[in-house]
Amino acid sequence: MSLMAIVRRFLLVDFFQGMAVTFRSQHPDQVVTEQYPLERPTIVEGFRGQPRLEVDPDTGLTKCIACGLCVTACPEKLIAVEGERNPETKKKQMTTFSYDVSRCMFCGLCQEACPQECLKLSQGYEMALYSRDGMKLTRENLEQGQKPTEYKR
Amino acid sequence: MAPILEYLKSTVTPGEAGSVLWMTVYVLVIFGGASLATMVMVWMERKILAHMQVRLGPMRVGPHGLLQPVADSLKLLIKEDVIPRDADRLVFWFAPLMVVMTAFTMYIVLPFGRTHAVTDINIGILFLLGVSSLGVLGVIMGGWSSNSHYPLLGALRSSAQMVSYEIPMGLAVVSAVLMTSLKTGTGTMSMLGIVEAQFLQRQWFAFTFFPLGLIAFVVFAIAMIAETNRAPFDLPEAESELVAGFMTEYSGFRWSLFFLAEYASMMAVSAIAVTLWLGGWLRPFPNALGGHGWDVAFALVPALLFVGIGGACLLGALRMPTIKELKIQRFGLAGFGFLVLALGLVMFVPTVRDRVQDIFWFVAKIACFMYLYIWYRGTFPRYRFDQLMKVGWKVLLPIALGVLLITATIGVRHELWTLIVEVTR
Repeated sequence: MSLMAIVRRFLLVDFFQGMAVTFRSQHPDQVVTEQYPLERPTIVEGFRGQPRLEVDPDTGLTKCIACGLCVTACPEKLIAVEGERNPETKKKQMTTFSYDVSRCMFCGLCQEACPQECLKLSQGYEMALYSRDGMKLTRENLEQGQKPTEYKR
Repeated sequence: MAPILEYLKSTVTPGEAGSVLWMTVYVLVIFGGASLATMVMVWMERKILAHMQVRLGPMRVGPHGLLQPVADSLKLLIKEDVIPRDADRLVFWFAPLMVVMTAFTMYIVLPFGRTHAVTDINIGILFLLGVSSLGVLGVIMGGWSSNSHYPLLGALRSSAQMVSYEIPMGLAVVSAVLMTSLKTGTGTMSMLGIVEAQFLQRQWFAFTFFPLGLIAFVVFAIAMIAETNRAPFDLPEAESELVAGFMTEYSGFRWSLFFLAEYASMMAVSAIAVTLWLGGWLRPFPNALGGHGWDVAFALVPALLFVGIGGACLLGALRMPTIKELKIQRFGLAGFGFLVLALGLVMFVPTVRDRVQDIFWFVAKIACFMYLYIWYRGTFPRYRFDQLMKVGWKVLLPIALGVLLITATIGVRHELWTLIVEVTR
């Protein structure tokens, strides 16, 4: 042990350095805790969360054309789409859409397959439920977004 | 009215004056104050420790978790009181009482000011050391009577630790007691006498024979952490190894008694350190900022501090956003502000000022120690048991012995020198 190390040890330099570290970390700016329902985390772009079906903002109609590409893309086969051809416009229209989020692993292959940029894994993350019953999302759930359970005093 | 006037005139402690009424009042005030300080300390510890670990700590029960200790103590009071089937019921029942009694018995001789002690014993410091080591008995009783593995191991560790740290502690105390005889010629072991010796010498014992007093103080400060089983010497209640050590089987009110005793003895032991080395109730800087003017200036500090805190609370209440949710908090803060402000204004009255400033400086010094306790806990990892024993026997004991011998030698030399100077003159 060198002389310097002995002096350091005798004067408890390392002790004081350690105590300075904890003292400095008391600064309120250093707090990393989020008060969750009051403060919300910033979600980065590209986060794959709650699945949504986009609605055309001008017409209010769904963008989905019931092509079924998402159904084939899904490795878990949890998406089911039904559609019928509209006799007037000769276009296929989506009638029912089902998305079983309890089996979803949020791989994002469905949103990549979608040609209309309609099905998206959005940035929502409040999807916890008390049972599996509500996890089979219907068209309404997907278009309006699933509301988290609200608590009252 | 007569007892109050008599009290205001008295210049000695109620014990010395033989006033049973005021002794009882002091005992009750100290008991209440120490219990209240424990609650505040619990909140402070959780908050400060949380901030040191970059967390927030309690935030939901009251503003910034201020009512958390109230909620905790209510919970503890209504909790089921479990006594294990195979436990020795009588001893199990008596152990927490033993610990609490010893912790609060220490407060009898602690001098919060020249007149603010229950009584003064001429062997005060010896009494304190004796009573504080009786606390080990309660810990062993609790651990052994639980008839369970973890409490027994915790109690054994605790007894080994407390007994071995008592020795450097006692030696450090002796070196401070030696210093009381400097200049005056007669040493004293009374707590009041020790502070008065520091007043006469115009020097705190931590700075006498620099660095000897300081080393003795540091030895005591380390030993007192081990003595009160606090981190980094909290082996008797090491959560990761022994669940909760000797109080594993205790629950509810009995457990809270152990808790109360731990904090009470922490404060009492810090009070011993303050009395012996940091000038007790004396104001800081007796030499650098000496003189009557500075005396008055320092006497105004508590009043100014209270007025400042009260004013800050009122300002905070005014600046609070006017929404319905904050209404109660606003009124609470304003009420607290007015109360503190009124107390502060009362403290400007000269007779009150002179009595209160003793208590203020003593409590302020203890509060620094309490912060240090939390700071150590936030910083240092727990010692292993062999390391603990090594620190106690191989480091602290030789240092304390050496300091004691050198203090005695220098003190004798010092006295001889002054004697020679006087004789030759």
